[in-house]
Amino acid sequence: MPLPLQQGLFQAVEPMQVDGAPEENDNVEEEPQYTVENPSLDLEQYAAQYSGLARLNRLMFIADHCPSLRIEALRMALNYVLTTYNTNLYGIIHRKLQEAAALNSGLPDAVAGSVHSVPPLDVQWMETTAKKAAFKLEKLDTDLKNYKSNSIKESIRRGHDDLGDHYLDCGDLSNALKCYSRARDYCTNPKHVVNMCLNVIKVSVYLQNWSHVLSYVNKAESTPETESAKEANLTTQSRLKCAAGLADLATRKYKSAAKYFLQTSFDHCDFPELLSPSNVAMYGALCALASFDRQELQVNVISSSSFKQFLELEPQLRDILHNFYDSKYASCLKLLAEIRDNLLLDMYLAPHVSSLYTQIRNRALCQYFSPYLSADMRKMAAAFNTSVGALEDELMQLILDGQINARIDSHNKILYAKDTDQRSSTFERALAIGREYQRRTKALVLRSAVLKNQIHVKSPPREGGQGAEMSIAPGSASSARN
Amino acid sequence: MAAALEQYVTTVQTLSSQGNFTALVEFISKNMEMLGKNAPHLDNVLATLDYQQHSIGVMGILVMKLNQQSIPDFETLFVQIQEFITSCNGEQARYALESFAELCHKFTLQIVERKQPARGLSILVRAIQKIQLHPAQLTSIHSDLCQLCLLSKNLKPALQFLDVDITDISREGGHYDAKDFLLYFYYGGMIYTALKIYTRALYFFEMASSTFLFAVTTPSMAVSHIMMEAYKKFILVALIVQGKIPSLPKYAPQIVARYIKPLCQAYHDLANAYATNNPAEVRAAVTKHSETFTRDNNMGLVKQCVTSMFKKNIQRLTKTFLTLSLADMANRVQLSGPVEAEKYVLHMINDGEIFATINQKDGMVRFHDNPEKYNSSSMLLDLDREMQKCIKMDEKLREMDREIAVNPQYVQKVSGIHDEDMPASSSSKGQSF
Repeated sequence: MPLPLQQGLFQAVEPMQVDGAPEENDNVEEEPQYTVENPSLDLEQYAAQYSGLARLNRLMFIADHCPSLRIEALRMALNYVLTTYNTNLYGIIHRKLQEAAALNSGLPDAVAGSVHSVPPLDVQWMETTAKKAAFKLEKLDTDLKNYKSNSIKESIRRGHDDLGDHYLDCGDLSNALKCYSRARDYCTNPKHVVNMCLNVIKVSVYLQNWSHVLSYVNKAESTPETESAKEANLTTQSRLKCAAGLADLATRKYKSAAKYFLQTSFDHCDFPELLSPSNVAMYGALCALASFDRQELQVNVISSSSFKQFLELEPQLRDILHNFYDSKYASCLKLLAEIRDNLLLDMYLAPHVSSLYTQIRNRALCQYFSPYLSADMRKMAAAFNTSVGALEDELMQLILDGQINARIDSHNKILYAKDTDQRSSTFERALAIGREYQRRTKALVLRSAVLKNQIHVKSPPREGGQGAEMSIAPGSASSARN
Repeated sequence: MAAALEQYVTTVQTLSSQGNFTALVEFISKNMEMLGKNAPHLDNVLATLDYQQHSIGVMGILVMKLNQQSIPDFETLFVQIQEFITSCNGEQARYALESFAELCHKFTLQIVERKQPARGLSILVRAIQKIQLHPAQLTSIHSDLCQLCLLSKNLKPALQFLDVDITDISREGGHYDAKDFLLYFYYGGMIYTALKIYTRALYFFEMASSTFLFAVTTPSMAVSHIMMEAYKKFILVALIVQGKIPSLPKYAPQIVARYIKPLCQAYHDLANAYATNNPAEVRAAVTKHSETFTRDNNMGLVKQCVTSMFKKNIQRLTKTFLTLSLADMANRVQLSGPVEAEKYVLHMINDGEIFATINQKDGMVRFHDNPEKYNSSSMLLDLDREMQKCIKMDEKLREMDREIAVNPQYVQKVSGIHDEDMPASSSSKGQSF
């Protein structure tokens, strides 16, 4: 329910201000609760880009965070889940849908007129599906046992894979991972190894186990490539890059994430279980903006022919990139603010949106100031769509972090580049180090004297009091000599 | 009975005149009990002995008198001790360092009990000077002096000793109590803190809390309360001076980390709050643990920490701003208003902590760079002095290294001849260089 208060809070931090340093990366992060009001998202089209669990997860993520699209998203998810064996998820989605519908009908003015009718819980489907799933599981299991008793490696591998597929279909991720991993011992050629790795990566991404993803990407990449299937090979390469980029993004390594995304080839980017090509464009562009310097941006992103094709999918992002590169920060930031709502609905990007935006903005500020010796903060504020006061705060943070070497004249509102006197600072440092050396040496000499005299603090053998050997009241300094 | 005393007097006189002090010390320690039995007559005995020539004998009697359960006439004894310490023969006293130190300890105790700490100051200063071989030697009397200074709130007398860096420790009867060492550094740190010479205080507290080696052989590791209190003050002073807790040197005993740190949770909380640079959080931490701080008698230092936090924040502002209005400053460092901000800035300019000018007309503060350009003659002189100090330090180290290199035990060890009863100290000394 979009509480107005919540909305107000959200707005307060909205336009990419420098918020506090993002917490250290945690794979399982507690996502902050937020809601998105006005997404410009075509759900139908969006959902069609994905398949399998990815589609369900993404739809449910949108439903959790966007009240206006909640019912539609849940309905689509419900329809889609019917094509799988995932009865658990069906129950969950159905319950959510019911709650959402109840909430809406409770507030007639919210979505007036369209009272959503919730399809009744299809108990029969659930039962038959569960039965079917169990039956299939049993069949696959016996098949696998047969293969094993015949000990035909290839069949065993396939048996494991099929079992894994089935578990995945039922939504049992940990068992799926187990089955896929077991196939590893029966891989006979490199292609199978890569295949196994891809399967494991897929499940690990669903489980958000990013270190697992990265290690399997490495494993797959180190497998000697097969020359024959060039086309398929490029596809796998792209998939691996996508997965690695995703893992790096999730662990806040934006720069390497950007590099991975930039390496994916557009023609072979086919990974509907994880990402759509427009996702690649989005993640890649944002990470690059946040972590690349001007030259890297030019060489690797703007003039990269393969990434251009990705960017065509997201024209807004293309404009943002070009504006940024052309130093038109105001329009760049404005465009960024416009797409922010949509980005917040992306389940992998959402936790990083604010920190990415902060980094992009900081980079822009640094870049803006870099050619100047002094800059008028009023003009600067205008260029960044912000007030002078807010700009001052941002600049202060950047100066303290050492990103901009400058000082602020708050009276005249001018930012001056600081010229450090190398000579003075050298003197200062030398003196400080000298003092430190003296201090340490003194301590050393004293310590050796202590050693020479073998002074120890021993536990009190006398009296047997509980550590009463040296109890003194700190302030009164009355020590009792015993 | 009287015969025994007469015997004592004659022996002291003959042995002293022969210069056979070692025998004399032995004799006296054997006769302590006898002296104790004859307590009422001791004054007469004292009268027959000369403070200068028979120092050791006199010392024995004085120690005995101080050892009594109740001292009948303290004033006389006070005068006697004063006279003894001013006029005794340092040479002789050094033969009986142990009882000399005991004399001073007991004397201090008596004075403290009678709440007249100021009276003992000059006597103890004299006493230390008598038995020190050189000014950089630490004796166990140092800690007594520091204690008296603190109690009498007269800190100057101790400074002449504290300002000298200790290089050597006096061996009193082959034994120097860790307690005296710790207390010296703990009290010294308190004295420097009281005088607001914080860097030096920090050094002292660090020494008190970290220098110690723990006897590996002691089955139960001992935690000294002095070390713990020193560590608490160390944290507070470090916050005032540096704004963070410096890591203790590597040789700091494990025990500090293992036992003392958990006991100082309140202080670590404060340090963590301090690290956020947010006055509100520091205040919250102070309120939360105020009971602990008050119990430890550290509330004053804690309050100074809070003040220093504002100062640190203002100093941070100087790094980012050239000019700033007082109202803005008050806002940024969360002071109550421009007036308070002005007061802080004024004090800080006075203390040379920041370089700034206040324009009262429009309420602006203009920050300057450090005016020191390192080209004045006095600066160069300072520099030279610092360099000389470092060079001296280096020489001292070399000398110590040489000493070790020619130490027969060390040579033996290095050349591989294993010696069973080699004291552990020589090997560990070798490592420390």
